[in-house]
Amino acid sequence: MARPTATGTGDRPDLLSAGLFIGLGGLGLFMARGLDTGTLAQMGPGFLPRVVCVLLIAVGLAVGIPALRRPVQAIDAIRLRPLLVITVAIVGFAYAATHLGFVLASLWLIVAGSLADPGGNWRHILLLAAGLTLFGALVFVYGLGVQVPLWPF
Amino acid sequence: MTFIDLLMLGFSEAITPANLAFCLLGALLGTLIGVLPGIGPTATIAVLLPITFFLPPLAGIIMLAGIYYGAQYGGSTTAILVNLPGEASAVVTTLDGYQMARQGRAGAALAVAALGSFFAGTVATFAIAVAGPMLSGFALSFGPAEYVSLMVFGLLAATILASGPVLKAIGMILIGLLLGMVGTDQATGAERLTFGAIELFDGIDFIVIAIGIFGFSEIIANLERSGSEGVKLAPLSRLWPTRDDFRNSWGAVLRGTAIGTLLGLLPGGGATLASFSAYSLEKKVSKHPEKFGTGVVEGVASPEAANNAAAQSSFIPLLTLGIPSNNMMAMMLSAFMIHGITPGPTVLTTQPEIFWGLVASMWIGNLLLVVINLPMIGLWVKLLTVPYRLLYPAILLFCCIGVYSMNNRIFDVILAAGFGLLGYAFRKARCEPGPLLLGFVLGPLLESNLRRTLLIEQGDPSIFIERPISLTMLVATVILLGLMILPSFRRTRQEAFQEEEA
Amino acid sequence: MTITKSAALAAILTTTAAGAALADWPADRPIEMIVAFAPGGGTDIMLRTLAPFLEAELDAQFPVLNRPGASGEIAYTALSQARPDGYTVSSLNTPGFLTMQIGRTLRYDPADICPIARIVEDPGTFIVQAGSGYQTLADLVAFAKENPGAVSVGTTGVGTDEHLAMLQLEQAAGIDLTAVPFGGANEAKTALLGGHVAMIGLNVGEYATSDRNAFRALAQFADERSILAPDLPTAQEQGFDVMMSSERGLAARCDVPEDVRAKLAAAVDAALADPEFQEKAKQQALPLSFKSGTDWQADMPVRLARYTEIFKLIEAGQ
Repeated sequence: MARPTATGTGDRPDLLSAGLFIGLGGLGLFMARGLDTGTLAQMGPGFLPRVVCVLLIAVGLAVGIPALRRPVQAIDAIRLRPLLVITVAIVGFAYAATHLGFVLASLWLIVAGSLADPGGNWRHILLLAAGLTLFGALVFVYGLGVQVPLWPF
Repeated sequence: MTFIDLLMLGFSEAITPANLAFCLLGALLGTLIGVLPGIGPTATIAVLLPITFFLPPLAGIIMLAGIYYGAQYGGSTTAILVNLPGEASAVVTTLDGYQMARQGRAGAALAVAALGSFFAGTVATFAIAVAGPMLSGFALSFGPAEYVSLMVFGLLAATILASGPVLKAIGMILIGLLLGMVGTDQATGAERLTFGAIELFDGIDFIVIAIGIFGFSEIIANLERSGSEGVKLAPLSRLWPTRDDFRNSWGAVLRGTAIGTLLGLLPGGGATLASFSAYSLEKKVSKHPEKFGTGVVEGVASPEAANNAAAQSSFIPLLTLGIPSNNMMAMMLSAFMIHGITPGPTVLTTQPEIFWGLVASMWIGNLLLVVINLPMIGLWVKLLTVPYRLLYPAILLFCCIGVYSMNNRIFDVILAAGFGLLGYAFRKARCEPGPLLLGFVLGPLLESNLRRTLLIEQGDPSIFIERPISLTMLVATVILLGLMILPSFRRTRQEAFQEEEA
Repeated sequence: MTITKSAALAAILTTTAAGAALADWPADRPIEMIVAFAPGGGTDIMLRTLAPFLEAELDAQFPVLNRPGASGEIAYTALSQARPDGYTVSSLNTPGFLTMQIGRTLRYDPADICPIARIVEDPGTFIVQAGSGYQTLADLVAFAKENPGAVSVGTTGVGTDEHLAMLQLEQAAGIDLTAVPFGGANEAKTALLGGHVAMIGLNVGEYATSDRNAFRALAQFADERSILAPDLPTAQEQGFDVMMSSERGLAARCDVPEDVRAKLAAAVDAALADPEFQEKAKQQALPLSFKSGTDWQADMPVRLARYTEIFKLIEAGQ
C-alpha cells in the first residue's frame, strides 16, 4: 500500500476504490458462475448478480483509469495497532460468548479492546471492565432477555 | 358517531391511568432499546408478547406501539452522538447529526430531531385518524411495477447523499445491491454468493453491516487518528437550538413529514426510503447544497421528521386492512390476535374504542416522548464529555451484544468485524458508506419486484410506462438524471467536494 | 435402513451413557426449547404459549432459544449436536423438514431427529378477492384451461407449501398457472387486495384471522376439513387431488431414551387437553391436532415421496 512519501502520478485513494470495486465485482462474478441466468420473463438467480458485477467492474475502471494520470495523492497513514487489536477483541468475544459465557467474554472484550489505545491505565481498565460487564449482564441478559449463558457452566 | 365523538372516545380510553402508564412504560422502554445499538424493537416486542396475555387488549397494544415509536426517537440519539445508526432509517441522520455533534452542537441536533419527530408524529397520527382508509388505498395501488420505478428513483437519489464524486457513489450502491443478493434467492430457492455458509442462507442482516461499517470502523479510525487522547469534540457551545436553527428547519420538517407519511404506507423499506428521500429532497431544494454533510440542521430535521411520520403511518395498512407492512407490524398483529381481535375494517365499526384508543395514545405517547427526551438531552450531551478511552470500550460492548442478540450466534459478530475491516478500507479509499446501505436495503425490493413484474407480464416491460404512478416515477428519475449530467449541477458537486477536501 | 441402523446404534449408546440421566429426568435442569424461527413468528408464539403448560405438567423449566435461519436447518443442526439426554428439544415443521431433504446437502442427518408430538395441522388453501368471479376451484380451473398462464398465483417461493399445492393443482386439472413469489404471506395478501395477482396460497390459520369481507377461500387441502374452517370444502371433495398442510410440533434426538420421549409426548398431550390452553390456541387461530411422535413419523415417508415427485416436476419445468 502507498506510503505518504510516494511520488509521481496516481490518486491512491481512487485507485484503492477502483481496486475494491473491481475486486468485489470479480469475486461476485466468480461466485455466481454456477447460477442460472434465465430469460427476461423467467429471470434466473444469476441474472441480476451478473448485471450488477459487470456494472461494478465498469465503474471501477471508470474511477481507476483517470486516477492513474492525476497527480499523486497519498492514502492517509495506516496504523495497524488499533485495526488488529479491535478486530481480535471482537472475534475473541464472539467465541467466548457461547463457550465461556457472557461474563468472561465481556471482560475479555473490554480489557483486550483497551489495548488498542496505548495510553491506558490498568486500574481504570479493570474497573471499567467490571462495571460494564455488570451493567451488560443486568440490562441485556436479565433486563432485555438476550439469550446468552452468563457463566461457562 | 361523528369524527369528534370518535376522537373523544379514543382520548377517554387512552387517558385512563392504566393505559397512560403502559403508554409511558412502552415509550421509555422504546427509548432505551433505541439508544442501545443493535437491540431492535422487534426482538424486545417478541419477548414481551407473552406478557401482554395478562393485560387488557388495549393496554398491551398501547405499550407495544410505544416501544416501536419510542425506538425511533432513541435511534437518532446514537446516530448523532457516536455516528452509529441503530436502524436503517437513522443512517442519514448520521451524515449531518454527527458533524453537528463534533462542532459542539449535539444539543441542538438532538432537540431539533425530537421536536421535528413530535411534529411529524402529530401530523401522521392525525392522518391516520382522518384519512386512514383512504391512504391504505394508496398503498394497495402499488403493484410490483410501481415498486420497481420507485426503487430505481430511490437508488438514483441515493447518489445525492454522498458529497464525493458521483461515480464512487454509484459504485458503493452497486456493492450494496450485491450484498443484498447474498442468501437464498426468493424466487427459485437457489443459494447465491454464500460461500456455502449456512448462516448466510437468509442473507446478511442490516445491523451487521451498519455496526461493522459505521460502528467498528469509526472506533478504529478514531483511535488511529491520534489515540483516544486526540478524540476531542469542540466544546459545547450551546445546549439548545438557536433562532436560526428553527428558522432553517421548519420547512425541512414539513417536507419530511409529508414524504414520511406517504412512503410509510408502503410495505418493506418505507421508513428507510422516506428518510433517504427527505434528505435528498432537502439537498436539492436548499440554497446551499454544498454544506450538506458538514453539519446543517436541515439535514437532521427532515430525515428525522420523515422516519417518525413513516413509523406512525405504517400502522395504517395494519389497522385498516389487517395487513402488516413490516416485521414490527406483524408482531403487532400477533398482539391483536392473542386477544382475539382481527384488525381490519370490521374492528373500526365493531370495536371503535380499540382503533381510536390506539390512535389517541400514539399522539399522547409522542407528547410523552418529547417531554421525556428534551430534559434528557442535557444528560446525553454530558456523555460526550466522558473521555473517549472510557467511551469506546462501552460502544464496542453494546455493538457486540446487539449483533449477537439478533440470531444468538457468533457468526454475525465475526461477520460484523469483517465489515469493520471493509469499512476501514472504504475510509482509506474515501468512499462514503451511506449509498451502500441504501443499495443494500432497496436492492432486494428492486430485484424481487422486477422479476415479479416480468413474470406477471410474461416478459413484456411496457407495463412500466402504462401505469400512471410508475410512469410519473420514471419521468422524475429521468429529470433527476438530467440534472446530474447538466454541467451546472456538476460544478456544485465538485465545489462541495473540494470544499470538503480543504 | 439408515433409520433402523442408527436406532440400533442409539439403543446401545443410550443404555450406557444416558441411563443415569434418565432415572431422574426431568431433574432440576431446564429443558431448552429451540425454535427454528425468529421471535414473534407463528411457531415461536405457539411454543411460547405452550411452554408454561409443559412446565406445569413436568415441573421443569422450558426456556425458549430462537435459532432462526435456512428454513429450520440451523435449528435442526443445533438439535442434532446437542447431548442426547432429553434436556434439548426443538420445534419441527413440515413440509420444510421434509422438502429440505430433497436435493440439498444438509449439515445434519434427518434420521437423527425423531418427532415427539404434532401440535398443529394447518391445511393450505387458495384465496381470491371477495369480489372475484371464482366461486369454486372448478371456476378457476375452467378459466385457466382457456387462458394458459394468465392466472397468476402468489406464493412464498419455489418449493414452499403454496407452490407445491399449485403444482399439484396444475397436474390434477391439466392447467398452466403462473407462480409469482412474494416475501411472505402478508406481501402476497397486499398484492391480492391491490389486484396485482389473481389468487394466493395461504394456510387456513392465516385465512381465518384475516378479514372475511375482503377474501374468499376456494378450497382447503387436507383430507378432513380443519376445525377453523368447517364450511370450506376440501379440494378432494371438489374432485381435485391436492393435499398440502403444514404441521408444527416438537422433536428430539432419536437417541434420547424412549421413555423420556414418551413422557414429553404425554406432557404435550395433556397440555393440549387443558381448556385454558385451548382457549389461548383458539384466540391465536391454532388448529390444534395432536398426533404422537410415532404416528407422525410413520406418515413422513409417504409425504416425502409425494414431495419428491412434485420436485421432479419443478426440475422438469426448468
